[in-house]
Amino acid sequence: MKSPDSKQSTPISTKPILEEDIGLLRRFFRGRIWYGTEWYITVVGGLILFFITIMTISAPWISPHDPNEFVGAPFVAPGGGPQILISLTDEQEIIDTMQISNLVIGVHRNRSGDKYADTIGAEKIRYQSQNELIAGLEAGEINYILIDEDLEEELQFQIPSMMVIARDLGLRFPLGTDNLGRDMVSRIIWGARTVLSVAILSALLSSSIGVTLGLISGFVSGPLDRVISLVMDSIYSFPGLLLAIAMVAMLGPGMINVAVAVSVIYIPTFFRVVRGQVLSIKEELYVEAARSLGAKARSILWSYIFPNVIPSIVVVFSINIADAILTEAGLSFIGLGLPPDIPDWGYDLSKGHSFLVAGHWWLITYPGFMITLVATGFTLLGEGLSEILNPRLVKN
Amino acid sequence: MSPGLRRYIAIRVLLTIPMLLILVSVVFLILRVLPGDPALAVLREGASQEQIDAFRASLGLDKSLPEQYVEFISGVIRFDFGESMTRDRLVIDDIKTFLPATIELALYSMIVIAAVGIFSGAYAAQHRKSAADYSIRIISIILYSIPIFFLGIIFQMSFGAGLGWLPVFGRLSSGMSPPNSITGLYTIDALLMGNIPLFLDALRHLILPSLTLGLILGGIFTRLTRANMLEVLEQDFITAGRARGIRERVLVYRHGLRNAFIPIVTILGLQFATLLAGAILTETTFSWPGLGRLVVDRIFDRDFTVVQASILFFAVLVASISLVVDILYGFIDPRIRY
Amino acid sequence: MQSKETLYEIKDLVVEYHTRYGVVNAVDHVSFDIYRGEVLGLVGESGCGKSTLGKALMRMIEAPGEIAAGELILNGVDLLGLTPKEMRDVRGSQISMIFQDPMTSLNPVQRIQDHLTETISTHEPDAEKPTMLQRVKRLIERLGIQTQRLDDYPHQLSGGMRQRVMIGLGLVLNANLIIADEATTSLDVIVEAKLADQLMEIKEEFGISILAITHNIALVAQLADRLAVMYAGRIVEIGSVYEVFDDPKHPYTRGLLQSVPSIKLDDHEDLYKMAGEPPDLTNPPSGCRFHPRCPEAMPICSQEKPTLQEISPGRSVHCWLYEDHPEKEPLVSENS
Repeated sequence: MKSPDSKQSTPISTKPILEEDIGLLRRFFRGRIWYGTEWYITVVGGLILFFITIMTISAPWISPHDPNEFVGAPFVAPGGGPQILISLTDEQEIIDTMQISNLVIGVHRNRSGDKYADTIGAEKIRYQSQNELIAGLEAGEINYILIDEDLEEELQFQIPSMMVIARDLGLRFPLGTDNLGRDMVSRIIWGARTVLSVAILSALLSSSIGVTLGLISGFVSGPLDRVISLVMDSIYSFPGLLLAIAMVAMLGPGMINVAVAVSVIYIPTFFRVVRGQVLSIKEELYVEAARSLGAKARSILWSYIFPNVIPSIVVVFSINIADAILTEAGLSFIGLGLPPDIPDWGYDLSKGHSFLVAGHWWLITYPGFMITLVATGFTLLGEGLSEILNPRLVKN
Repeated sequence: MSPGLRRYIAIRVLLTIPMLLILVSVVFLILRVLPGDPALAVLREGASQEQIDAFRASLGLDKSLPEQYVEFISGVIRFDFGESMTRDRLVIDDIKTFLPATIELALYSMIVIAAVGIFSGAYAAQHRKSAADYSIRIISIILYSIPIFFLGIIFQMSFGAGLGWLPVFGRLSSGMSPPNSITGLYTIDALLMGNIPLFLDALRHLILPSLTLGLILGGIFTRLTRANMLEVLEQDFITAGRARGIRERVLVYRHGLRNAFIPIVTILGLQFATLLAGAILTETTFSWPGLGRLVVDRIFDRDFTVVQASILFFAVLVASISLVVDILYGFIDPRIRY
Repeated sequence: MQSKETLYEIKDLVVEYHTRYGVVNAVDHVSFDIYRGEVLGLVGESGCGKSTLGKALMRMIEAPGEIAAGELILNGVDLLGLTPKEMRDVRGSQISMIFQDPMTSLNPVQRIQDHLTETISTHEPDAEKPTMLQRVKRLIERLGIQTQRLDDYPHQLSGGMRQRVMIGLGLVLNANLIIADEATTSLDVIVEAKLADQLMEIKEEFGISILAITHNIALVAQLADRLAVMYAGRIVEIGSVYEVFDDPKHPYTRGLLQSVPSIKLDDHEDLYKMAGEPPDLTNPPSGCRFHPRCPEAMPICSQEKPTLQEISPGRSVHCWLYEDHPEKEPLVSENS
């Protein structure tokens, strides 16, 4: 049989047909062309998480205040805080805070003015309502009053003769303060740490137990497998939150307890996924081959099966964190979450609910938004990773 | 009913019993075996040793674990759950009052979930990789990421307080008295009584809570339906149908959906546990007097017996739905029927 | 016995797939005719494009694939010019397709009867139930299936029966052409033989044409009137079944026919394997696509693409061995 004259024919193309042959990193960068919109979704998820991670890590530096300190007056609306000093008599502008602290100032009780006066150590007369405060000024009971800067125009209209002698007094709170006067921005930033720690901790717990059990159960099979599967199925079919509620009620409050309670719910998920994978991998020839060569069970598990299971674990892990965040928030909402001294989005949400009636919407909106954002980020990442790490063969 | 189907149902019913047993045991384990003394949890600090001992005796906690287990199971079988610890009522009466509310909420939420999930999932699968498909997928992910109570609160603020269209608390408006209890579901009972205004009132109160619960779970359901539909639509018989000139829409919604329906029903059943978990939060948000709310309230009261029984009934609910789904499965999948 | 009237003219058909790795040229400038009342066999290795060709003939190529060029003239009408709705009308009533796996090609939750009546009502919306049922019953009986089976679901029927149902679906609207895409591949030999017989009967009785796409050469030898051989998206040889089997012209055809194992009890005969592998169609070989594997390759084969030349009436080959070219050099003799 004559062989073809290789010098004159074009070489047969050696481009890989199957995606499995292509390295992970190359897949990632080619991703945009290959996966189109799916890739963008993963990237968006990743970006969200990147941003959150930065925020979490740099909390001590970027947080304007201590999240537990009562830096402002309660229920300051977003963007509010700064006060202006009003007088009917004095005409010159005061620039020096020292001078203000020497004055006797009228303030609205428990509002920002009150707080500011305390901060600078000025003597203050507290009025029950704003109207009384203004009336007091007009009546001459008091020569100086502090009011919110956004009320300047309104007051100018009411009392044309009023003079603003100092501005921009006191702290500004971009996202407002909560019911105890804690800065929402700080609470959001520090809350990220809490939420992520609890979620990641519980995910780690769930995965270590679930994956181990799944590996063993899937590999060993037999009665042991059946028993463990049965138990796992029962836990899986139980309403998760209920399980967590019961456990927290028994264990008591605290970050570790909450993490443990939440982790139990997701053990079956890891178990099922890993076990399913182990079962299908087991049927593949090279495991059979290794076994027939007398390899020890443990080394088979470790070198053959485990590496193939990792992609699925990563995907489930990511989605698990999203779920854990939501469950923890749920627990807090019911009142079974973390103790009040730890800044936590779920806690803020639950607290804020009761104050909604009074119109203080910002207590729940920002934490709620953040929870949604982070949970979405992790879910997007998980879903996207699922596509990249477990690509389906190109259908042709 | 063919003999094959009869046998299938019988097997399913029989299998439910061990499942229930396991669930009940899990409940037992959680409440008795976990660290944390229920006596202290209930009686709080400062209780005298006698009080603690008396309490533990009353619950049978002084006996050995196996004995406790036997007592527990026998109590369950007799439907004897004891008395409430903080109120002067039998636990079973409390359950009877609150359970139907949860069932009603779950029912209507299921309708929302099914409607939203099936149609948006099928639509997304049909128009794969289109803008609509991606939007639906992203929206469903975002929906599921919203804390249920947060969405509930938003609804309360906008529709209730803001626009004033819909009620935000409870099952009935004040001044309306509940219908005669036949099923315990206000809407159905009102209809059975022929009392239309009462029916409408109960229905209006159901709208926001079931919409909240339904939209959020509908998010997951959409994605699952879509995934199943995609698989079904890739099957050969769809291509074969297309080769005979059958229209796309008929292929997707009649042939495709009817086939995807089988796994979808299974998924609905599996989702039920998640639904109940979500119901707990929804009931708390909307002050809905259901079993979830009961658990939450009584946990803080430290009403141990009621909490224990409620958790049990949640488990029973889940098991029953699994059974119903399995049986339904037998009816809709001709491969099982014949 | 066969009329040489042309049913379906395929001219210069090009089908491309736009994949992540590039454009796959699955069907490259294919032209041939299908005559009325004939069985045309289409053979080739897996991946040569024959299934794609079959789908293209029904305009059932889906993204990322597309029919990039060509004409598909069925009964005088160019199918490529039809609107989607018109095309839908054609499918099932003028051309129909039988698929490889009868189990998965039937809707598991639909009764056999409904499969058939639905096909009728899709194309004849005014048809009435009783008339449809009659037609369906008659058809099923003809195919050798008892009428009570009409009430059954697909999983209750045997493999051979299901395939006959599929044929029934192809015939129910009196289509002119049935494309059988690997229709017997999933059946065992005996059932396959019965089915082949049935197809022949139907062809004789109804005068329909059949395009039998298969990699089973023996089947084609039995069934077909004419044979087309496909390689890497191109038709390399076409002619009557006797001529092609008797005297294969194209080196690929020769190799293919030689690889068919025979049941001769000769220990000394090894199984013949053709050298090399089918090419990657994202980057196909230049010139004649078979040249890397061809035992008779010449310099021109890698440079220029040959055309499908008619070397005798009804017989065409796509090979430089039978075509003249100014730059063509004689076969290179064996050197070092």
